[in-house]
Amino acid sequence: MAADLLPLAGLALSPDALVAAVQLLCPAAQARPDCDRPAVKVTVGDWPELAGRLRAHADLLFDLLETHTAIDWPESGRIELVYLLTSLRRGHHLTVFVDIPRDDPVAPSVCAVWPVAQWQEREVYDLFGVRYADHPDLRRLFLDDDWQGFPLRKDYADAFMLDRPS
Amino acid sequence: MGLVTDHLPGALLPLPGGGALLTAIDQVVNWSRANSLWPLTFGTSCCAIEVMMATGAARHDLARFGAEVARPSPRQADLLIIAGTIVKKMAPRLRTLWEQMAEPRYVIATGSCAISGGPFLYHSYTTIRGADEVIPVDVYVPGCPPRPEALLYGLLTLQKMIREGSTLARPGQVRRPVLAALPDGMTLDDVRAEIAALVQETATVDRKAAAAVGAAFAAQDRV
Repeated sequence: MAADLLPLAGLALSPDALVAAVQLLCPAAQARPDCDRPAVKVTVGDWPELAGRLRAHADLLFDLLETHTAIDWPESGRIELVYLLTSLRRGHHLTVFVDIPRDDPVAPSVCAVWPVAQWQEREVYDLFGVRYADHPDLRRLFLDDDWQGFPLRKDYADAFMLDRPS
Repeated sequence: MGLVTDHLPGALLPLPGGGALLTAIDQVVNWSRANSLWPLTFGTSCCAIEVMMATGAARHDLARFGAEVARPSPRQADLLIIAGTIVKKMAPRLRTLWEQMAEPRYVIATGSCAISGGPFLYHSYTTIRGADEVIPVDVYVPGCPPRPEALLYGLLTLQKMIREGSTLARPGQVRRPVLAALPDGMTLDDVRAEIAALVQETATVDRKAAAAVGAAFAAQDRV
């Protein structure tokens, strides 16, 4: 195994230090203390550059995008993108939230930083309708290609769904 | 087998006593079909862990009932055990697999999802409400997921249906689908005792009684 792939045991940053390190890279990042894991919220403009630096920075080394998903907030008119990051070599975790408007959900793709995001972004596009700029192959992943609508949005409804009889 | 099942009924039925002989052949054919079910491995969610893995493995051992030869190809299988949720995208594939299986073919639907859609009945955009919307089902095994004993009970029910239900004279006609729920108040020990008794019964032969039957046939022939 190459020396630079060995785990740097005991070098995980504490949650507070991790958030502080991210805020050094991106001063506009807000800490989210209401989450289980260390979490920050960044603007959509800051996110592509911050993603690359999170992966490359020697103290952070976020080499794995564990999951990418989204939350639909119809009452405040936004879709919240969620990125769960892990550093296999440092052993620490970070959650990043990015808000995008619900009526025009366009987000930057992070495929160039974490190639695994290609499928994860296709899944979020499939179920929430988020359009990723510069994604190489943005097609539906789970649903049929001719599916209408995005089922994990809170206001989704179609003729197939049954309501529970009251 | 094709010769027996396709041409024998037409040749035998006009003969005197042909119907009785055909009934005897039916019994042999049904017995062999019931005791050599080859299941297709078709696990789409959590039921597959109970049904395909736990039931097929050593502790519960589906092999005791002649149904252990799980095939990954529908061409070689005659029993489709639906183990899991069927979604809209999977439904045409399930239909294709079923159509590719050789006749006579049997279907066991295990678990709430395959019976009715189960927990995904309401407010689901994609779950099919029961596998019988796509293909005909012979035996329903309820549970979420069913215990391996429940599947064994369902398999025994299917074997009983095959033994009693079909005749070469009317191919394609089978018994109505049944719900193979374990009766109320039945415990695991009861099921174990019943299975043990059944295995004991089918695995032993009374030689004297068999010899007496043979002698009676021989005497009949001489007359």
